[in-house]
Amino acid sequence: MTEHTLRAYDEELHDLSQLVAEMGGLAERQIRASIDALIRRDQDLAASVITADSEVDALERRIEDLAIQLIAKRAPLAGDLREIVAALRISIDLERVGDFAKNIARRFTALGSESDPNQLMRRVEQMANLALVQIRDVLDSYVRRDATEAMTVWKRDEEIDALYTALFRELLTYMMEDPRNITFSTHLLFCAKYIERIGDHATNIAETVNFMIKGELPQGARPRGDLSDAGVV
Amino acid sequence: MNDNSPASGSLTTQKPHLGVREHEGAKQPLTEKVSVKDVCFFYGESKALKNITLPIYERKVTALIGPSGCGKSTLLRIFNRMYDLYPKQRAEGEILFDGGNVLDPKQDLNLLRARIGMVFQKPTPFPMSIYDNIAFGIRLYERLPKSEMDDRVESALKRAALWDEVKGKLGTSGLGLSGGQQQRLCIARTIAVRPEVVLLDEPTSALDPIATAKVEELIYQLKNDYTIVIVTHNMQQAARVADYTAFMYLGELIEFGETRQVFTKPTKSRTEDYITGRFG
Amino acid sequence: MNAAIYNRRRAVNGVIMVLAWFAAASGIFVLALILGTLLYKGLGGVSWAVFSQNTPPPGSAGGLLNAIYGSVMMTLIGTALGTPIGILAGTYMAEYGRGNKLTMVVRFINDILLSAPSIVIGLFVYEMLVVTMGHFSAWAGGVALGLLVLPVVVRTTEDMLLLVPDSMREASSALGSPRWVVIMQVAYRAARAGMLTGVLLAIARITGETAPLLFTALNNQFMSTNMNAPMANLPVVIFQFALSPYADWQKLAWTGALLITVTVLILNVGARALSTRTSKS
Repeated sequence: MTEHTLRAYDEELHDLSQLVAEMGGLAERQIRASIDALIRRDQDLAASVITADSEVDALERRIEDLAIQLIAKRAPLAGDLREIVAALRISIDLERVGDFAKNIARRFTALGSESDPNQLMRRVEQMANLALVQIRDVLDSYVRRDATEAMTVWKRDEEIDALYTALFRELLTYMMEDPRNITFSTHLLFCAKYIERIGDHATNIAETVNFMIKGELPQGARPRGDLSDAGVV
Repeated sequence: MNDNSPASGSLTTQKPHLGVREHEGAKQPLTEKVSVKDVCFFYGESKALKNITLPIYERKVTALIGPSGCGKSTLLRIFNRMYDLYPKQRAEGEILFDGGNVLDPKQDLNLLRARIGMVFQKPTPFPMSIYDNIAFGIRLYERLPKSEMDDRVESALKRAALWDEVKGKLGTSGLGLSGGQQQRLCIARTIAVRPEVVLLDEPTSALDPIATAKVEELIYQLKNDYTIVIVTHNMQQAARVADYTAFMYLGELIEFGETRQVFTKPTKSRTEDYITGRFG
Repeated sequence: MNAAIYNRRRAVNGVIMVLAWFAAASGIFVLALILGTLLYKGLGGVSWAVFSQNTPPPGSAGGLLNAIYGSVMMTLIGTALGTPIGILAGTYMAEYGRGNKLTMVVRFINDILLSAPSIVIGLFVYEMLVVTMGHFSAWAGGVALGLLVLPVVVRTTEDMLLLVPDSMREASSALGSPRWVVIMQVAYRAARAGMLTGVLLAIARITGETAPLLFTALNNQFMSTNMNAPMANLPVVIFQFALSPYADWQKLAWTGALLITVTVLILNVGARALSTRTSKS
C-alpha cells in the first residue's frame, strides 16, 4: 500500500505494529522459559518468568495507549482502522498468553519435588513446542501481513487439542492407578490446559490477522481436536 | 477474564461479517427512489461524468465522496437539472424518478425542483425576513391562508431545529443569523416545500463543529421522511450520516455500497487509498 | 535586516505619502473653494421670493419659481423615461443574455452613451424632436435628460445584479421558482439598494445639465406648465443670467447654482448612504 499523505500517521502505525511484534516476542520467550523451568525444575527461571510478566502487561498498556491516540487523532478508516483494531485485539490475546506462562511458572512452584514420570513431562513439552510454533507462526503472519499463513495456524490448532485430549486420558489413568499421584497430576493437567489455551489464543490472533488483511473473519467452524470437555474420554 | 473459548474475542463474535450485514430496519424492503442509469455529463466538450449507474434508496442517506473535481457535485446537480441554468452543459443517459426520466427535455423543471429540493454549500438566505424565506417556496405552489402558512413556517423551522432560536424574530432579516443558523434556515426552506428528495451539496463545509453536528443530527431526523443525497468532503461525516456511500474519481463511479462496508472494507484499492488519506 | 535598505524604503514611503497627501488636499481645497464661493455669493440671495416668484425682467425683483418647476418636471420625465428602460436593459444583460453577443454590443454602446458629451445628446434630440415638431418643448428636454439617465441606470443595474451571487439564484431556482420569480423576488431584492443608488446618481447627473436643455427646452421667462412649449429650467436660467450684465440676474444665477449644488450634494450623500447600507447587509 502507498504511504499516507500524512507521514506522521505512517510512522505511528509502524510504531504500533513494532510494539505488537515486540510484545509477541516477549510472550514467546515467556512461554519457552516457563516450560523450560517446568521441565528442568528450575526455580530461578520460574521466578524470573513471574517477574517478567509485568513487562508483558506494560507493553499491552503501551499498545492500547497508542491505539487510542491513533483513533482519536487520525479517525482511521478501512485498512488503517482494521490494523489498529487488530493491534488492540492481538495485544489482549498476547497479554493472556503471558498470563498463562506466568501461571505455568506458578504451578511449577506448587508441584514441588514430587515425582515426575518422564513420559508425561515429554507429552507436555511436545504440546508446549507445538503451541510455541503456533504463536511464532501467527506473529510471523502478522508481521508479514500473510493471511494464508495465518489460516494455516488457524487450522493447525486441532493438533494441540488432540494432544491435550490424549494427555488428559493418560493423566486420568495415572491418577486412577495411585491416588498419591493426584496432586501432581492435577497441577500438570492445569499446565496442559494453559498450553492448550495458548494455542486457542494463537488461533484468535490468526483470525485477527485474517480480519486485518481481508476485512472479514474466517468462515465456518474451526476444526477442534479437544474432546475432553465433550465427555469423550 | 476467566476463559476464552476458541473464537470468542469480543469482535470475533460478530460472525455475520462486515459487508453482508442486513440493512437496518430490514422489515421495509429497499426501494429505489431514484435510479441513475448510464449517465454521462459534458461541460462543453469535456466529459465530466462517465457512464454513472447508481441507485438512490428511499428514506436512506446516500453520500457522494471523492476528491475535488471527481464529479460528485456535478452528479448531484443533475438530479434536479440545476445545470440547466447554464449554457453548454448537457447530460446523457437516464435518471428515473417516479417512473419518469428527469433528463427528459420535456420535464417541467420547476415542478421537478419542487419535488427534489437542494441545499447548497454556502448558506444562501434570501434578502428577506426569516418568515418570508420559508414562505417563499411554499407560495410558489400553494395558496394558503395566513394561519395555515404560519403553521407551515413553524413546522418547517421546528423540523430544522431552528424554531426555538428564531421564534421571537421571524420578521427580522434572514441575513442576521449566524452561519449555522442560516444553513438550517436553508434546510427549513427546502423541506417547507415538502420535496421527496433532498440534495445536500457540502452543507456543513462552511460551519463550525457544533453547527455541523446540529445539521448532521437534522439529516438523521429527516431520513425518516425524505430520501437524502449528500455530497461531502468530510469522510467522517459520510461515515456518520450516510447509509450508502458512493466513491467517485475522475468522473467515474469507483465504488458504491453500504457505508459500513465502504469505510471498513472497501473493495477497490482506489477507494481505500482515498478514505485512508493515501492519495498520491 | 539591512538598515540601509530599510531606511531608504522609509524615506521613499515618506515622500510618496507627502505627495499623496498634497494631492488629496488640493482636491479638497478646490472643492471647498467652489462651495465657499457659491455659499458666499449665493446664500445672500436665498429668500422666500426665490421659491415664490418667477424670473424677473432685468432691473426688477423676482425669483426662480418657473425655473425650479421646469427643472423638477424635466428631471422627473427624464428619470421616468430612463429608469425603466435602463433597468430592463440591465436585467437582460445580467440575467438573460449574460455573455452573449447582444449583451456585449449593448454594453459597448452603453459605455459610449455613458461618456458621450451631453451637448451631443442635446443636438441629437434637437434634430429628432425639436426640428420635426417645429418648436422647442419641455418634452424634448425630458427626453434629452432621459437619454442621459439611461446609460447610468443600465450600467448600475447590470453591475449590481452581477454582484448578486449565483448561489442565490440557484437556491431560488432549486425551490422550483420560475425565472421571473428568481429575478423579481430574489435578485432585485438583493440588488435593490445598489440599483436605487444608480438611479439617484443618474438624477444627480441630469440636475445640473445645461447643454441638452439649451437645444431642447430652451427657456421661458414666464411660468409655463405646457409640456409642449419651451420651459424655464435652472441650468439654462443660470447660464443666461450669469452672462448678463445685470447685477440682479447675476445674483439670482448664484442662488440657482447654489440650489443645484445643494440638490446634487444631497442626492450624492443619499446614494452613498444607500450603498454603504448595501455593503453591510
